[in-house]
Amino acid sequence: MKPDLKNILNHLQSFYILSIKAPLGMFSRPFYLRETIEQMDYAGAGSFLIVILVSLFIGMALSLQTSVELAALGLKMYTGKIVGVSIIREIGPVAIALSYAGRVGSGMASELGSMVLGHQVDILRVFGVDPVKKLVTPRVLSSIIMLPALTLVGDAVSLLGGYYIAVFVSHQSGPLYWSQIKDIMDFNNIFSGLSKPFLFGYLISCISCYMGLSTTGGARGLRKATTTAVVLSTILIIITDFALTRILIFILGMKV
Amino acid sequence: MIAFQDVTISFGEKTVLRELSFQAEFHEKIAILGGSGEGKTTILKLILGLLRPDRGRIIIDNQDITTMSEAELRKIRMNFSIVFQEGALFDSLNVYENVAFCLREHTSLKENEIEQEVRRLLKRVDIEDAIYLMPEELSGGMQRRVAIARSLAACEPKMILYDEPTTGLDPLTAENICSLINELSEGSPPDRKGFIAVTHKVTDAAKVAERFLFVKDGKIEFDGNLEEMIRTDNGTLKRFINELLILGDSHV
Repeated sequence: MKPDLKNILNHLQSFYILSIKAPLGMFSRPFYLRETIEQMDYAGAGSFLIVILVSLFIGMALSLQTSVELAALGLKMYTGKIVGVSIIREIGPVAIALSYAGRVGSGMASELGSMVLGHQVDILRVFGVDPVKKLVTPRVLSSIIMLPALTLVGDAVSLLGGYYIAVFVSHQSGPLYWSQIKDIMDFNNIFSGLSKPFLFGYLISCISCYMGLSTTGGARGLRKATTTAVVLSTILIIITDFALTRILIFILGMKV
Repeated sequence: MIAFQDVTISFGEKTVLRELSFQAEFHEKIAILGGSGEGKTTILKLILGLLRPDRGRIIIDNQDITTMSEAELRKIRMNFSIVFQEGALFDSLNVYENVAFCLREHTSLKENEIEQEVRRLLKRVDIEDAIYLMPEELSGGMQRRVAIARSLAACEPKMILYDEPTTGLDPLTAENICSLINELSEGSPPDRKGFIAVTHKVTDAAKVAERFLFVKDGKIEFDGNLEEMIRTDNGTLKRFINELLILGDSHV
């Protein structure tokens, strides 16, 4: 993969085609249900523990930082509100997506990359099987289902972590914390927080599968494909998050 | 019929095949000889339309495949099956599922019928006992046997393409694989199933093939039968054969 303009345009074109073909594959036969379930298990159940850990500590750290700053202003009672909004709208979806890119995205890129290097993808084509439909569509579908589900779990665990710090470290009232959380659970916040993981899941899976399928050059090429998949996913998650936040603020009529 | 007409292909700066031309019938037993990196596997991939040449035409069954779409190529590929060097078995599937793969994708057979067919194919390549093993539990020779069984399940190909079928195997296992290749291409032309085997093991090639092509610097330097190859005046080919014979194939 040389960084010349023609090469970059070729890659962009191929990525564009893959990212259109992969989701369209869900609506035509054959349906690879078994592969999709396997991917959901790998992406969802396999990431569960990591998501719990990451979310718990993010929630606790955020609650701790917020409590310290608000205590100085005498506004500790607002900890729940700030933690809740930050987690649900922003930090939860982004942190879980980044963990997902690191664990699942890299796994997808390396698995498909080694299938390419081991000629397994060639064999699929020789047997008349479309590799995008067989390999990419189940991964994209499982990602757009499992990442939002993981985000829901992660948000809940983060809020619990925040509660622990607010009540047992910062000595605030538990019911007050939960009433603050309840207050911010409106349509705008929930929609903002839950729409992002769908797009992140789609982006991570398409990028990772594309990088895997375009692997060349042995073990070194595989390392490069995996690293590029994670780096590109990370950058795109951050940029897309900003763009999506801007769009959602506009669509939902929120004031800046 | 397969026809390569002035086929050129490059990977980056390196030109692998230069205006290479040859013709072959589906029933022929062909060995393509040549050193590492001479583009032997590339020829197989070009036949299957897995790669497209930069210049030249590839005609299969009177159709130019170089301009075909992926959907059109699928029909052309039905004529062939391929056994890659390391077998290229799907490592997430066991032996049974690997061999059943094509049957599940392309036929409406019931599971018990698929099992019968898989057992028949595994028996044919003499590896029935390994039916529920995973690919990583198989030796190199066993992996190649399973790959051959899987290739036979692929909609009755007219021709099988072998990519270095005996490389990396001990002499006895290599001998077994050669016997199997011969067995699968039994019969008289034009009814038999032909093959193209790319290899640098000339003694193994001599056991199975009737026609030999020698690729050097992206071109075919020799095209003939075993007798003609042994008597060749081509210095490079002579050295290639002599070197292999003197060293003993398995040492190279």
